[in-house]
Amino acid sequence: MKLQAYPLDWPFTTALRARAARWQRQQLVSPAQLAAIEVAYPLAYYRPVWPLRVGLFIFTWIALGMMGGFSLLLTDGHSPIAAGLFFCGACFAMLELMIKERRFYHAGVDNALLYSGLASAVSLLYYIFSDHLWPFNGSYHLDLGGSFLVLLLILALLVAAVLRYADGIVTAAAFVAFLLIVALFGLNSPLGQALLPFLMMGAATSALLGYRQLTRRLAGTYLADYYARCLLMLKVLALAVLYLSGNYLVVRETNAELHHQFKSEQIPFAPLFYALTAGVPLLYITLGLRRADRSMLLLGMLALAFSLFTLRYYHSVLPPEIAAVAAGTLLTILAGSLLRSLRPARYGLTSLPDDEPRHFNLENLIQAQTAHAPSAPAGGGFEFGGGQSGGGGATGQF
Amino acid sequence: MPLPPPLDPYLTELQARNLLPLTQAAAIAEADQARPFSLHYELRALLYLGITLLAGGLGALIYQNIDSIGHGVIIAVIAALMVACFGYAARYRAPFTWGMAPKTSVGADYLLLLGCLLFVVLEGYVQYQYGLFGSRYGLATAMPALVFLPLAYWFDHRGVLAMGLTALASWVGLTVAPLAVLTENEFWNDHIRAAATGLGVLLMAAGFYSEHSGRKAHFAFTYLLLGSNLALAALATSLLKATFHDEPALGLSYVVIMLTLCAGLFWYARRLQSYWFLVLAAGYAYFAACYLLVQLVSTLPNGLILGLSFFLFPLSALLVVLFFVNLKKIMHGPVKPPASFPKA
Repeated sequence: MKLQAYPLDWPFTTALRARAARWQRQQLVSPAQLAAIEVAYPLAYYRPVWPLRVGLFIFTWIALGMMGGFSLLLTDGHSPIAAGLFFCGACFAMLELMIKERRFYHAGVDNALLYSGLASAVSLLYYIFSDHLWPFNGSYHLDLGGSFLVLLLILALLVAAVLRYADGIVTAAAFVAFLLIVALFGLNSPLGQALLPFLMMGAATSALLGYRQLTRRLAGTYLADYYARCLLMLKVLALAVLYLSGNYLVVRETNAELHHQFKSEQIPFAPLFYALTAGVPLLYITLGLRRADRSMLLLGMLALAFSLFTLRYYHSVLPPEIAAVAAGTLLTILAGSLLRSLRPARYGLTSLPDDEPRHFNLENLIQAQTAHAPSAPAGGGFEFGGGQSGGGGATGQF
Repeated sequence: MPLPPPLDPYLTELQARNLLPLTQAAAIAEADQARPFSLHYELRALLYLGITLLAGGLGALIYQNIDSIGHGVIIAVIAALMVACFGYAARYRAPFTWGMAPKTSVGADYLLLLGCLLFVVLEGYVQYQYGLFGSRYGLATAMPALVFLPLAYWFDHRGVLAMGLTALASWVGLTVAPLAVLTENEFWNDHIRAAATGLGVLLMAAGFYSEHSGRKAHFAFTYLLLGSNLALAALATSLLKATFHDEPALGLSYVVIMLTLCAGLFWYARRLQSYWFLVLAAGYAYFAACYLLVQLVSTLPNGLILGLSFFLFPLSALLVVLFFVNLKKIMHGPVKPPASFPKA
């Protein structure tokens, strides 16, 4: 049996067709050539547009939830292990069957089956440990002796699932399990507690090194496309954890939490954490711009916002309205002038839209979040709050 | 000596299969190498954030210093800004048509929206400060609707249409923002629920009329999205209430109305090849069908209920999944070529 569940040429064909379509939009390839390429590389799998994928996921999940509930009911709660084993086995069997027979490829149905199967397997593991192996029946331990083994088993299970099904969310879950193990390892001793931020930074760095090794090893093979979303997820999470574990606010408040302080106190090595809080976002932004790495750039911008929040959390630099006006003016001028000056590309950067289709639109998100604000005065005396949606939902794509 | 650029696996593959000549592949590799990194959306997001911060900060500053500035000045400034926005939008307006007007200027689009928002701010301010409408809140909430709806048709702007419909709904006593329907409104009140159902059905009728008669057919999307969410969410809560109060006849009539509306949405979804409406219709129809299923199962003898539910309920969800998977066959080809959207 092959390690990968989906045929390796599916992701490769998808990526190749996306490239070819972009080259055609850039007029590097003629429409006739694109048509020939699309004939030579047909999409052999089922993956509908995303509203349908969401619908498929939700309804599969509902059906599975009801089946799980009823299978527990039918065994009358006497043998949850048997019910769990049956449910988990059924999920994975269905998953394999769906991929083989219906050629589903991350189409909602297979995602729901995978998550349900893994969730039941994880809860089954945990149940077995808490019911039969731990000395205190059913109690919850966050110490090494109790949780280490079960976490290791869960991590192994998740990694195996990632290797086989290449799912982004399972990758995230596996990374979280890995971090939990490292954190438990640190929390177990006073020295480890003191060094916790460095342990987490070390874990994130090792994940990043692993990411680099993997991308180099896989470059140019079908596996690079197969695991593309997992690798991206790993990179983004590792970068986020690397920043957060060096962030002054996170370190200080976690430290207070660990020592049961009512009010957080200054931490040792404070200057180091100041430097990390200020420096890491700038590093991310610079690297993102230099390497044309959008995920790193966006993370850098978010990290910068959080660093500014950290600063304002401990020092009230300016009254909020003055700070808002100043920051707003600065941002407006900066973004406006960059939009103008980068219009012919400079330093490999441009302010013109590129011709990649966009999945995640930051601008729309911010607009949707803030567009309600101007309606506040309507509450002045209106009976029904006079709700205004700034045209919410009026932009239809599908 | 600089390293040669890493070979693009897709280019090598295409070359190997004789789909790209060597020179063209080299040209593509070079173009990819020289492709600039686009910051378009990031910069625009920053610009938007900056403007929002600036406006919020200035608003707070004005609010704090209101005594030294005076209400008259502020009202005059808002009014002047609003007039400027509308004036700019009117200057770049495309001539009126019942079809989709060509976009003349992106700025005019945004400024029209800003002008409408300023109108609401101005109205609220005048009402709050001087009580212009007194206690006739109905008139005060109807005003924006009366202004925005004609503007939407005149300027051919779906955002303004959505704002006008929202104002109309708040006149009826509701908020129609699609996501807020279930959280912000007190849906358990009978009068409001009936009003919401009525208005929703009316909006949907308006949507079907515009699509059918080809008068601003692209507005049908907005009418139907707001109207169907309103009517169906109101009906769904009515259905829940009928279940709790054990009124099967009333419940059945709600189910019939819901299924009719869903059928209408399905017709529109098929016509436009719109997956949004399809998922929406399927979701609400499933809700109504589950009610029927519960009614059916509860008439069975006790011994059978558990066993049958075990099969029927997962089966019902699986049927929806099958419906989605076979959608291509069900939706095969539009009934007519879509009249309203270039891409929907």
